[in-house]
Amino acid sequence: MAFPTLQPTSRDFSPGDWPIKRFNSQSGAEVRILYGSQRINAKISLGYDNISDANAQLFLDDYATQIGTLRTFDLPAAVRTGWSGSAGSIDAPPGAKWRYELEPAVRAVRPGRSSVTVNLVAVI
Amino acid sequence: MAKVYTGRDGRLLLDGTEQIKVTNWSMTGNLETLETTSLGDSQRTYVPGVQEFNGSATLLYYNDGAGRNDAATALKKVLKIGSVSEADTVDMRLRLVDGSTNHDVRLTTYITSVTFGASVGEVSSAQITFQGTGALTAVTI
Repeated sequence: MAFPTLQPTSRDFSPGDWPIKRFNSQSGAEVRILYGSQRINAKISLGYDNISDANAQLFLDDYATQIGTLRTFDLPAAVRTGWSGSAGSIDAPPGAKWRYELEPAVRAVRPGRSSVTVNLVAVI
Repeated sequence: MAKVYTGRDGRLLLDGTEQIKVTNWSMTGNLETLETTSLGDSQRTYVPGVQEFNGSATLLYYNDGAGRNDAATALKKVLKIGSVSEADTVDMRLRLVDGSTNHDVRLTTYITSVTFGASVGEVSSAQITFQGTGALTAVTI
């Protein structure tokens, strides 16, 4: 079971940041130390509005396959539909993969129709 | 044969009884749509959602020779002592007649508002609005 190859109706991407530690002296001077070479905590929130219950089921099935927030996986290109920049710009950093940050939220809209929200976080 | 329908062909039946002195009725059907447009689409797409039916009618506040007053009967669906219950639905048929053929829209409704009054130089009438509940029970238009 792979992440569903559906086009989202909304997408919020946050690229995360490099692991930086900041130290401030009493004078106000700031020292920043870089502790890694990769961005961390990239997040993506995907909304799938008014999709069929069968498609909503795909997210629940995948969530079960990944054992909830345990396993990591790649996202299909369909997730980036509508983005005309480079694919890597809104994907997990090189070497990182996605995992569920939260359980998928499935909201029933009417019989046979549901809206799903999926929140993912990139981990190395 | 060609036919243009006019107010003369209109009828309104409440609980199976053809109302007397109806001056107008109208109804509206609405279909809620659910948007399914996804990223990358250039045109919006929709799937059907839930339907809704409502409308209004005006009846003259009129007593026939036998003391029947249909406007009063309709008004009492809302103007009543005590609360309105789920049993206070009205089986409503909005009809256009063509000889012996009836073109009906039939639905179960609640009368949701009533207005009536008296003015100098005017015939008293009752305006009612209704809200359909559930699916249409017959459509023969």
